Amino acid sequence: MSETSVPAAEHSAPTGEPAEVELRLPADGAYASVLRTLTAGLAARLDFTMDDIEDLRIAVSEAAAIVLDEADPGTVLDCVFRLEPASLGISVSATSSAPSEPDYESFGWQVLATLAAEASIDTTADTYAVRLTVRSSLAS
Amino acid sequence: MTADLSRDDRRSMSVEETRRRSADLFAVLHDEGASAAERDTARDRLVHLHLPLVEHCARRFRNRGEPYEDLVQVGTIGLIKSVDRFDTDRGVEFSTYATPTIIGEIKRYFRDKGWAIRVPRRLQELRMQISASTAELTQTLGRSPTPRELADAIGCSVEEIVEGLESSNAYSTLSLDATDDDSDGGAGQSMLDAMGVDDGALEHVEIRESVKPLLENLPAREKRILLLRFFKNMTQSQIAEEIGVSQMHVSRLLSRTLEQLRHSLEADG
Repeated sequence: MSETSVPAAEHSAPTGEPAEVELRLPADGAYASVLRTLTAGLAARLDFTMDDIEDLRIAVSEAAAIVLDEADPGTVLDCVFRLEPASLGISVSATSSAPSEPDYESFGWQVLATLAAEASIDTTADTYAVRLTVRSSLAS
Repeated sequence: MTADLSRDDRRSMSVEETRRRSADLFAVLHDEGASAAERDTARDRLVHLHLPLVEHCARRFRNRGEPYEDLVQVGTIGLIKSVDRFDTDRGVEFSTYATPTIIGEIKRYFRDKGWAIRVPRRLQELRMQISASTAELTQTLGRSPTPRELADAIGCSVEEIVEGLESSNAYSTLSLDATDDDSDGGAGQSMLDAMGVDDGALEHVEIRESVKPLLENLPAREKRILLLRFFKNMTQSQIAEEIGVSQMHVSRLLSRTLEQLRHSLEADG
């Protein structure tokens, strides 16, 4: 496939707005692999190294696991990817009628926070969201 | 192969012996005059005779994720094929002829059967190229390579690298007995261990249910003594004080009650 199929940030629109990719999945663990695959695919195009991509796959799995725990059954897992030069911002969120307090001691969160450059849990009255930013190790 | 074995003198003797018996058996196998039964026996014995060669070949592929016994099995198929096809007139040793066939059979097994999920040949090869190039580029770059660098090195597109990465996850599926060493919850615990087991208290249910009506029938004082002894964990002296009899009496009452309960249970059972 040709170079034009690679929407890396340096090829993005001249306005300088980072490209966004959105993925909506049933809030069900069975779809986690789709999320992982898309994440790896996007990171590959942003020139993340193979190690970065592996870390990213783990981080995004943990984020999905944390959100799925809170998601109401039958709702949608909303994943937004923000493609910036050598950096990938990811937000994973779902509808949660009674979101519990963020547990910053949980194993999943610890893994996520270690692998991501930035990570946060945002809850509102009816949503539960995990946001993370992962940078390519080539950027620094 | 033979040169390899002859390093050891004793072994070279047995190699000579094997070679001689092998030649004899092949003579019978290819003897037009011999009966079918004779030729079958010769074929069987040839296969048995050369089994150590298969084991030797299979050992070279140990630690690659496939059970050694399985490798011996597929290698043996290679050996049988070799016995059937070997032409004594060529003047080469049987082992020289059989080794590539056996190894070929084992290699084919890795290619076709080693994968837990069937993946197209193209992707299998791509995956091997990716892992080889990853190792090489990690050395030259001093860091993990990007998919683009891999694509350039292999001569394919970034898309194909991504595809190859996905397929590599299909090589091995997770066994239920596999231990998960990387999580914090109890190292060396297998998936199977983490699954539900019968409740340990389950087997006591029957006993508890059988004892219940018997306890109901006990006189009030005996019931109370049992309660104090086994539920409040009081000593016999404490119980004696509590209900106003001697410790000896408590002891007698206790053993008598327990004896009664045991008898009734056994009678019921």
